[in-house]
Amino acid sequence: MSAYNSSEYRRRQKKYERRKALVAYSFIAPNFIGFAVFTLVPVLFSIFLSFVKWKGGAFSTMEWVGLGNYADIFKTAKVAEKGLGYLFTKVDLGIALKNTLFYTVVTVPLTLVCAVALALALNRAVKGAVGFRTIFFFPYVASMVAICVCWRFMMMKDGPINQLIMAMGINYNKSWTADSGMAIWSIILVSVWRNMGYYMVIYLAALQGVPKDLYEAATMDGANKWQQFFHVTLPQLRPTTFFASTMMIISCFKIYDVVAIMTEGGPGRSTKMLVTYIYDEAFSNFNYGIASAIAMVLLVIVLIFTLAQFSMEDRYANN
Amino acid sequence: MKKTLALVLAAIMLLCTASFAVAEEGQTLTVVAWDAGTTPYLFAQKEAFEASHPGVTIEYVDVASQDYAVKTTTMLAGGDSSDVFMVKEITDLLNWQEAGYEEPLNSYIEASGYDLSGFAGIESNYAVDGEQYALPFRSDFWVLFYNKDLFDAAGVDYPTNDMTWEQYAELAKKMTGDGVYGTHYHTWLSAVVNWDVCDGVNTLIDGEYDDLAYFYELYQDLEDSGACMSYDELKAAGLHYSAAFENGNIAMMPMGYWFVSTMINAIKDGTCSFNWGIVAVPHKEDVAAGSSFGNLTGAMINAKSENKDLAWEYVSWLAGEEGSIATATTGTRPAWVSEGVAEAMASAEGFPTDDASKAALVPVYVGIEIPASEHSSEISTVLNEEHSLIMTREYTIEEGIEEMNERVAEILG
Repeated sequence: MSAYNSSEYRRRQKKYERRKALVAYSFIAPNFIGFAVFTLVPVLFSIFLSFVKWKGGAFSTMEWVGLGNYADIFKTAKVAEKGLGYLFTKVDLGIALKNTLFYTVVTVPLTLVCAVALALALNRAVKGAVGFRTIFFFPYVASMVAICVCWRFMMMKDGPINQLIMAMGINYNKSWTADSGMAIWSIILVSVWRNMGYYMVIYLAALQGVPKDLYEAATMDGANKWQQFFHVTLPQLRPTTFFASTMMIISCFKIYDVVAIMTEGGPGRSTKMLVTYIYDEAFSNFNYGIASAIAMVLLVIVLIFTLAQFSMEDRYANN
Repeated sequence: MKKTLALVLAAIMLLCTASFAVAEEGQTLTVVAWDAGTTPYLFAQKEAFEASHPGVTIEYVDVASQDYAVKTTTMLAGGDSSDVFMVKEITDLLNWQEAGYEEPLNSYIEASGYDLSGFAGIESNYAVDGEQYALPFRSDFWVLFYNKDLFDAAGVDYPTNDMTWEQYAELAKKMTGDGVYGTHYHTWLSAVVNWDVCDGVNTLIDGEYDDLAYFYELYQDLEDSGACMSYDELKAAGLHYSAAFENGNIAMMPMGYWFVSTMINAIKDGTCSFNWGIVAVPHKEDVAAGSSFGNLTGAMINAKSENKDLAWEYVSWLAGEEGSIATATTGTRPAWVSEGVAEAMASAEGFPTDDASKAALVPVYVGIEIPASEHSSEISTVLNEEHSLIMTREYTIEEGIEEMNERVAEILG
């Protein structure tokens, strides 16, 4: 009798749990279906595409090439013969990698420094602080195309920026976007200018959260303003900096819009980025296999950075 | 009550089928084209075709010009069943053919006894392994536009149909000064060095680019002497060639024939008001005067179309005599050349009336800008990258050309 009861109880318990799980799944379902259809399947398809030669069209025209696309983009045969220097000076992928890395390495710290400086300056009760905050945030909401076109004009030969530079005694008067040494800097400048307002707002929020008593204690201990900044403010901002740099590194690797509008990857290949390279291969040359293989390289890089950051999360993201 | 409802519903159903029957009677042909809302020849073609084919309606599917290749390829890959697609670049046609989107046309040509002789051989650019996949209805070759008022004001003779490049450069320098530029080069590779293919021997996909040096040197000399705006400035300002020429301070400009209809409209709507004319582009000493290069525009039948016979009727009409005359009346140059067509071109309202302009309508040779091949688009990416380095003087002409040779050799394997 008791044996029947306990098995009946277990059965009901199980049924109840299954139903509970079903309810949970049904809540996740709409989101997951959307994710699966629009993200997961395309990603998996792209992984598959990186192993085939395909110009689009009927699936029957696909040709399995294994790692051929990867050998093609890395020009493995040539690189093995001529060394790694060849990869980064002559091969499209190497050049795009080098440019993207350089852009990221310069843009991320520069944006963070500018954002922190702005946030500190506007965190006090200065006159018109709200107005300034709006002004610095404005580029972030303005149209990207409009911004880039305006900057391109400003950085023209005889444009306002070059005139300023020349007034300072530096003899330089060339369109930045037409100078292969300066073109990447023009992109960095616009990116920093555009994004610093957004990260300023995030830092402002974080600054409000720094307990006042820490500053009081520091003052009591005789710390000056600089010491307070380095030993109180910065450590307190660490979780924010961690978040901001993670987001920014990932978005920097995906840089496309500024380049497409300002330089189209030129002059030559001086501002060719991974994503502009993917676009060219996929939508100018219709080499979907090659384009997918480059996308996989980008995926791996972003994945490495993301995993590294996750593993450091415990150390840096929490106080 | 129920009875009335049933009757009403039945009546509605009957009406629906009736209206369907009416729609079935007239046929609609969907044609994918770029800038369908603003391109004069598309209006003229639609009007003429519908007039000669009662009951048929042409419906354009408009795609923005700069996105045409990407958008149409995506449409075709997605199984779009629009009947006819305009072919903007020969490379698109090749990509589509490889992917199996195009209806082969040889059987239609044979069945209807279609005469291809009016194309003078250029239709072969739309053929793969002897099978025709599209018919050209427009062929734009490059001519030299000039501003007659500026030449009159300077008291200098107009350019002629048989100038060499040296004579042209000399003329450009002569016309320069007082805010006037002797000539204007748009930033494209084709505007600066594509002249190399006018000799009928060179192509831009042969992997041999040493000959381009002549045209780069010619350009740099003109830029240095202030006879044309600098590439840097044009790039940074993003100045469109039509705005530049319509501004009225440019004496000459080599440009594609499509610019004729732009100029006719610009005069008509008052954007600019000077007298202008065209002559053949200059030639090298050893190349025949009147040689040029150009590009084809055509139409192909979608393999997924459900109205293939009507689509063939349209495509063959469009490329043939009647369609060509409709195209020519708007100042656009059809691919089909005949006396009737040439007459229609010269009589387009607003076309310059001088004899030199009329003579420039018939080039002696038209090379293909970038011929179709498996590697055309990759090669043109490389050439454009190196072109920008030479034009911004980041590279010397020799360095740029050496890299063109090297990189294209790698593509060709």
